Amino acid sequence: MISKKERLRVNIVWVIGIFLVWELGAFFLAGVLNDPMADAKLPYLHTIFWVIIQNFSELLGAAGLTFSRAILGFILGAGVGFLLAIVMSLSKTVEKIAFPYLIFSQMVPVLGLAPIIFNLVRDMNTSRTIIAAYITFFPVSVNMLSGLTSVDNEKKELMYSYAAGKKSIYFKLMIPYSLPYLFAGLKIAAPMSVTASILVDMLGSSGGIGVKLLYSLYSGTKDMFWASVFTSAAMGIISYSIILILEKKFIPWKKEVVQKEGA
Amino acid sequence: MEAFNYTDTTEFMERDFSNSKETGTEIKIENVSMVFPDKNGGEPVTALQNVNLEIKQGEFISLLGPSGCGKTTLLRLIADLLQPTSGNITVRGETPRDVRLKKKYGIVFQNPVLYDWRTIRRNVCMPMELMGMKKSERTARVTKMLELVGLLDFGKHYPYELSGGMQQRVGIARALAIKPEILLMDEPFSALDEFTREKLQIDLLRIWNKTNKTVIFVTHNISEAVFLSDRVVVLSPHPGRVSAVVDIDLPRPRDMECRQTPEFFDYMTKIRNSFEGV
Repeated sequence: MISKKERLRVNIVWVIGIFLVWELGAFFLAGVLNDPMADAKLPYLHTIFWVIIQNFSELLGAAGLTFSRAILGFILGAGVGFLLAIVMSLSKTVEKIAFPYLIFSQMVPVLGLAPIIFNLVRDMNTSRTIIAAYITFFPVSVNMLSGLTSVDNEKKELMYSYAAGKKSIYFKLMIPYSLPYLFAGLKIAAPMSVTASILVDMLGSSGGIGVKLLYSLYSGTKDMFWASVFTSAAMGIISYSIILILEKKFIPWKKEVVQKEGA
Repeated sequence: MEAFNYTDTTEFMERDFSNSKETGTEIKIENVSMVFPDKNGGEPVTALQNVNLEIKQGEFISLLGPSGCGKTTLLRLIADLLQPTSGNITVRGETPRDVRLKKKYGIVFQNPVLYDWRTIRRNVCMPMELMGMKKSERTARVTKMLELVGLLDFGKHYPYELSGGMQQRVGIARALAIKPEILLMDEPFSALDEFTREKLQIDLLRIWNKTNKTVIFVTHNISEAVFLSDRVVVLSPHPGRVSAVVDIDLPRPRDMECRQTPEFFDYMTKIRNSFEGV
């Protein structure tokens, strides 16, 4: 085990290392190879940060718009995924009927699905939310279900020996047991829902970080493009961190769960 | 490990004598057979064949035998975790199912089977929640139970923070929490090291002495069975059946020294010989 202090030190070394390599690479491209496209291919890292600081409120506004829809969709999708898992665990028949379609649903590329949804609802915000939910529900559902089906027999027998009802069994055993699995699914889904929301931006939204990405790419404002890329990355990381913090709060007992890839 | 607190003995003396006599028959097992069908389509396995047994109220009885003798199966039949292929089990005239539905069994498994997400206190509390007991009542009872097993200081801990022996004691506290009439124990100490096991055996006898429950204790350890029991039921395998019933007339309360008496060894020899006859 590495101590917290040591881990912090390792992280600092990594950050400094990446910064230096990046700056060196940018210098090499611009100063040594004299590449005319250098500032598009690999701009200096410090200039990207400078652009972010200069356009901070603008980027934050765009990111906030996209992120809020992603969160809304994420919550909806997680809710649907959770309930679906419960229903599937309650009834083998439902599981048998629903599961193949769940997997099939993930074969439809979001890129193709997004315009269809947009055409149907004709509203950018609703589309963002629906697509984010669509992306979220599958990994959540699959992981939750794998938690519910892996409750050991002895734990169930204990409930049985006390003649516990279905409701008690679920609230006192099945669901709490499956929480670590649920969070494994949520951790996969969170950055994915952000990605989905950005993707919908690009379909012709008037605002959002995806629009920033697209416009700056086409209009040739390279600095802004890279600033948007960094903002998007930060959104993904933040979404993951939020789930991580919630996980620590809701699961104070220790349990290692191997993450199942949702899609 | 902590010493037990003897301040409150009255609470554990409470016992419902109204519907049966102290020495009455608690559990009657008549001609019970259990056959498990083979999953791969092979020969069915006869786990128990024509088992007859009467267990008295307040008795500490051990089901002893090698693996495959059906001792755990017999316990599970009494617990209504399995239904016999043929034969009849009655608990004070009722079916095991009725007794289970009335929540009169306390079960301790081989593994502690604690719920990882609950603190020790809330683990012990769980069966009482299922019974719909009032919160104030539950809190008081949990404290009493943890006191009884000497784990009062560990109430706020999570199971993973406790040693195997401590976890098993939590399991015992939980089983006793709802004042069961029959305590069913399925090799509860077999996963523990020898020192912890001997300590817990003494703990268990103390608790039993206080609560006076009927205890059915499954084990494959001869010395454990002799040390704990009023009667040892020896089962032999293929097919599982009762091959001997040995009364253990060692004086109670029993302590560590009891294990070194010639009588103790006599009983062990007697039981071991009953296996060789098979």
